[in-house]
Amino acid sequence: MHIEKTTVNIGFNPLTDCASVVMAAMLGFDEKHGIRIVLSRETSWAGVRDKLMTGELDAAHALYGLVYGAQLGIGAQPRDMAVLMNLNRNGQAITLSRRLADSGAKDGATLAALMAREPRQYVFAQTFPTGTHAMWLYYWLAAHGIHPMTDVRAITLPPSQMVYNLAEGHMDGFCAGEPWGQQAVMEGVGVTAASSQQIWPDHPEKVLGASLDFVRAHPNTCRALIAAVLEAGRWIDASDENRRATAEIIAGVPYVNTEKAAILPRMLGRYGDGLGHAWQDEHPMRFHQEGQASYPWLSDGMWFMTQFRRWGLLKSDPDYFAVAQSVTQSRLYREAAEMAGVAVPADVLRSSTLVDGHVWDGTDPARYAAAFAIHQR
Amino acid sequence: MSRHLRIVLVHPPHESDASLRAAALQAGLVEAGYEIVASLPADLNLPEQIARLQPDMIIVDAESDARDVLEHIVVATRDERRPIVMFTEDEKQSSMDAAMEAGVSAYIVAGLKPERIKPVLSVAMARFRKEQKLLHELADTKHKLAERKVVDRAKGLLMSRHGMTEEQAYQRLRTMAMNKNLKLAEIAQRILDVEDLLG
Repeated sequence: MHIEKTTVNIGFNPLTDCASVVMAAMLGFDEKHGIRIVLSRETSWAGVRDKLMTGELDAAHALYGLVYGAQLGIGAQPRDMAVLMNLNRNGQAITLSRRLADSGAKDGATLAALMAREPRQYVFAQTFPTGTHAMWLYYWLAAHGIHPMTDVRAITLPPSQMVYNLAEGHMDGFCAGEPWGQQAVMEGVGVTAASSQQIWPDHPEKVLGASLDFVRAHPNTCRALIAAVLEAGRWIDASDENRRATAEIIAGVPYVNTEKAAILPRMLGRYGDGLGHAWQDEHPMRFHQEGQASYPWLSDGMWFMTQFRRWGLLKSDPDYFAVAQSVTQSRLYREAAEMAGVAVPADVLRSSTLVDGHVWDGTDPARYAAAFAIHQR
Repeated sequence: MSRHLRIVLVHPPHESDASLRAAALQAGLVEAGYEIVASLPADLNLPEQIARLQPDMIIVDAESDARDVLEHIVVATRDERRPIVMFTEDEKQSSMDAAMEAGVSAYIVAGLKPERIKPVLSVAMARFRKEQKLLHELADTKHKLAERKVVDRAKGLLMSRHGMTEEQAYQRLRTMAMNKNLKLAEIAQRILDVEDLLG
């Protein structure tokens, strides 16, 4: 097999879920498949998107919603994008400030009660306007009767600035990837009101994203890359010992640049809300799950479009199925999974029940998008 | 056209090196005759400040994580766009042409030499205006096509219901529109709505 481009530039943002991309390079899974992954630490999601479009990056650890936002031209000119695979599920969190917790708000219901009791402007941050964290935050607020566009002020902040701004009292809460939820709890400035898996158990999170142009010109490079990252995800998920080693490495300065203690507990599924409640999570961050976590489900991609529609980022219904099919590189994934010996599910849609009881199975996206009482058109 | 172009500079919060760079850039811009309405730290008040100042252009450090805060502004002001110019020191960055070709909302330019600022901003602004014009034309064309579809459907309805020729159906629509002082597409839509209602 001729590999069109053997040196592959991969962007990542410093977050726990960049692990499989980093470990693919660290453990030599890239070389095993005939490529060399060159990692590039990025500081912003918009930068990742722009660099995928200009070709400065070949592929990147990216927010699921960012890829679809770029495809649909929300925030920039539309460009054909590609999802090569899902990188992980779960492992993000909604954090409320200590001050809010002291006033009685420690979960969605008590937050809604506090907001009704003490009206003022409440400020919540997410990490990117079309990103997963914006969608988790909006979904969670709405599930508790709080309109994310009118009842609160939603802002965008880089993940690494969340804890500082929460501590300074600049905002009331945020939704971001780990380790920032755990960091806020460790520093005593915030409490975990909900993990993202409480909003949607086994939700899709980051993807390996690329421009469609890159994928079309370099199919063999993409297959090798998917296979290498699949093997890394399988290795991380194989044991707690491997998770420990992974946490050790990604905590380092070139990657997440934080303490291992901020990363490891939640990678192992050990959660604490900062108010004395501790639990072993049934749906912690997963990189493999026998191939279930890495499979790019068409229904996962369509879900983000339904939420863009729900919140007025899309003014009309797109052809959900056609867009998801064009973005999702199912065939490449299938071939790469075979190379890596990873099982591929037979169906392209899956069914999930979210925190508000709505069932998402991907069969009627336009109807699903229109079914929410709280929305913005 | 650079006269009275109102510019907001955005610099990373708590970074002395970056603010030095921002200061150099600011001096260059003022020298080139631009009006700097504010130099703002990229913190969580940025969206409100931009909304208040309504600048013609925003200039920011591309490698800063403030980029995502700006993305928020871009998305929030989608119906009222303004160009955002990115400056970066990184010479291996894709060229400005490549960035513009890619259709990003930003123009990536290497180097901060004061004498280069003016032509770069002029091109960026011209490019942005041209793009906006094309987008408006596209929206306009789409709108006209949609209107024509509505008129065609209403004509078809009149033809099948009342056995009119196409010419007669069109004349009927036009007369109704003139009598009611409505646009052709509006009267056509009403006819279709009534049909929907009465089945």
